[in-house]
Amino acid sequence: MASSGLSPSRAFHPFVLLAPTVLVLATFFVVPVGLAAYQSLFAWDLLTEPSFVGLANYRALMLTGELARVAGRTLAYSAVVVTVASSFGLALALALNREGKLVAFVRGAIFSAYVVSWVSVALLWLWLLDGQAGLVSRALPALGLRPCDWLGDPSIVLFTLACVTVWKIAGYAMVVFLAGLQDVPRSHYEAAALDGATRLQTFTRIVWPALRPTAAFVGTTSLIASFQAFDVVRVMTQGGPVRSSTIFVYAIYEEVFMNLRVGRASALVVVFFVLLLLLTGVQLKAWRTLAQGRVAT
Amino acid sequence: MTEPAQLSRRSLGAAALGAAVASSLAGTGSLGCASPRRRPGEVAFWVSYGGNNRKVLLELVARFHREQSRVKVLPTFQGDYFEGLVKLRTGLFVGKTPTLTHVVGEVVPYLEAAGVLEPLDAIGDEVASDLEPALSQWGTFEGADDVPLVALPFNRSTPIAYVNRALFAELGLAPPRTWSELRDVAKRAGHGGDGATTRWGYECPIDWWFWSALVGQAGGELIGKSGAVELGGEAGVEALELWRTMVRTDRTMKPPPGRDYNAWEATNSDFLAGRAAMIWTSTAFLRYLEDNAPFPVLAAPLPAHRRLAVPTGGTFFVMPRGLEREERESGLTFLRWMMQPEQANEWATRTGYLPISRRGRLELERAGFFEKHPNVLVAMEQLAHARRWPWQKELFRVQREAVQPRLEAAVLGGAEPRAVLAEARNLEAG
Repeated sequence: MASSGLSPSRAFHPFVLLAPTVLVLATFFVVPVGLAAYQSLFAWDLLTEPSFVGLANYRALMLTGELARVAGRTLAYSAVVVTVASSFGLALALALNREGKLVAFVRGAIFSAYVVSWVSVALLWLWLLDGQAGLVSRALPALGLRPCDWLGDPSIVLFTLACVTVWKIAGYAMVVFLAGLQDVPRSHYEAAALDGATRLQTFTRIVWPALRPTAAFVGTTSLIASFQAFDVVRVMTQGGPVRSSTIFVYAIYEEVFMNLRVGRASALVVVFFVLLLLLTGVQLKAWRTLAQGRVAT
Repeated sequence: MTEPAQLSRRSLGAAALGAAVASSLAGTGSLGCASPRRRPGEVAFWVSYGGNNRKVLLELVARFHREQSRVKVLPTFQGDYFEGLVKLRTGLFVGKTPTLTHVVGEVVPYLEAAGVLEPLDAIGDEVASDLEPALSQWGTFEGADDVPLVALPFNRSTPIAYVNRALFAELGLAPPRTWSELRDVAKRAGHGGDGATTRWGYECPIDWWFWSALVGQAGGELIGKSGAVELGGEAGVEALELWRTMVRTDRTMKPPPGRDYNAWEATNSDFLAGRAAMIWTSTAFLRYLEDNAPFPVLAAPLPAHRRLAVPTGGTFFVMPRGLEREERESGLTFLRWMMQPEQANEWATRTGYLPISRRGRLELERAGFFEKHPNVLVAMEQLAHARRWPWQKELFRVQREAVQPRLEAAVLGGAEPRAVLAEARNLEAG
């Protein structure tokens, strides 16, 4: 069989070209995860000799229910962040997808939250949401509402943190959706208008099908961002009260820094990695399905 | 100290993982590179102070440098006590330790058992015998008599009550002397209610240190004579029940938001802003509260239940094992200087930590310091009721892992105190 013009002139050429990427991926991703998996089989405090404990770290995490609780909290937090940030970002993009200096200013103002550091955002909201002295808590009685202990009530603190996260990243979702909206040909809107389509029909038949891949991208990046949340927890609640805001990355931090358990932290890292891998796989599959749906449309 | 041959068996990856996890999560990036090769006479000193305490420490170091030129102390901030401890452990593992650092009392037995602390007997009898017994290694720990001197007191403290003196005078209240008075005073000192409290009668971090004070007051011991983890038995339950009642039934106690030192800061802020009439916190904040409160501050001993009792707290100077002789000597030179009455008193009087030098304390008495600062005297007199910590290497784990995370569950969550403490005991036994 004759070789095509794309065949390498030397068999090792593809490997040479791949080598830098493979090296970087191996050094910064594959090896660390492998080391974490290895280390998760030991009990070690960074000080005394590590002792091999097999799967005891995983067993301890499961038997105490800690793993399920941390995973449950993380998923709940992520579900709120992904759905609300995406929806809110889409709504903002639709509302602000027009010309004008004021609109441009509002877009910039909303996006500015995204570029502010997490610690600054967390400190700002810590001040606003203080149960007794915060502006929000003071404003509620003026509106005839009972103030809430936003950061002190175990039943709502996780959602408070999720809302702060949404406030910060909704601007990012808005910008990505705005970029997606620019891709919708003007002629489609004009055709819909000539056909007498309502605004809702224009959105469901024209805009949303075109935005599906964008929505999948926003969903995936928001999911990853929400799973990596640490600063907001560290600054605002330190995982409390009653561990009700201890989500994955903070739990890993706590095992290393507070409990002196490197093995157990490594076990959490491995579980975290697998969980993220699964969720990303599901999202990618959904993304591809959506993209194919778009082509079919 | 770990031998290099053993390091290879445990895999180099462990170090990489530890450093990667720690530095990536902490974001400080100072692990493994905080102690470069030092010049002769240099003392790398890792500290965990911010604010006024760091200012006072740096001024002391500057004065040390003015008084001599042979030893140069290089203080480096390493985060709070727990972050500093992780960095110390990582530094020990990779062989890049400071000359000196300071660690919380509960962790000293753990480090000593791991064999990573340099004995400090060379500090000399004159210094060692001058240390306030209740604040030194031997006076603080039960069962430490056979252990070499590995820790020297630095910033030592006890929990103490602070009340808004003006408010208490206006309401005709006196600081509570018993648990029942505590509940009564907290009710009368608070203001508002039903979700709109404008002033809480009592605020205290839901923290191991204050809980262990309550356990002692209720007559319990954290560790029994046999070394078993008792967590106070019934006294431990009573301690949690008291807080639980004040938070959930009386609604007079504010559990501050945040955990660990964040909760402590929130407690101070509420007191200074008049949102809490009475707080429990550390003697370490005495000067800070006195200087910043817009009202006169009155310090009071913690109340009794079956007896008066307080734990001691704060940190000790320690020196990692394995330093060169010259570096050890330089470190000891600085320690000897810091332990002198003049420096010990400057540190104590400008911060609120307790004077650790007996001669220094006598000098303060002679100078009439306690008459001018009666709040400090309250803290000193409370030392007569200080309970010793058990010299047990698992004490730190009992604190951080078994008890601390469970206190909130009993006080704020729906968990029963008895069940929570049983779970903590089982965890430790396992």
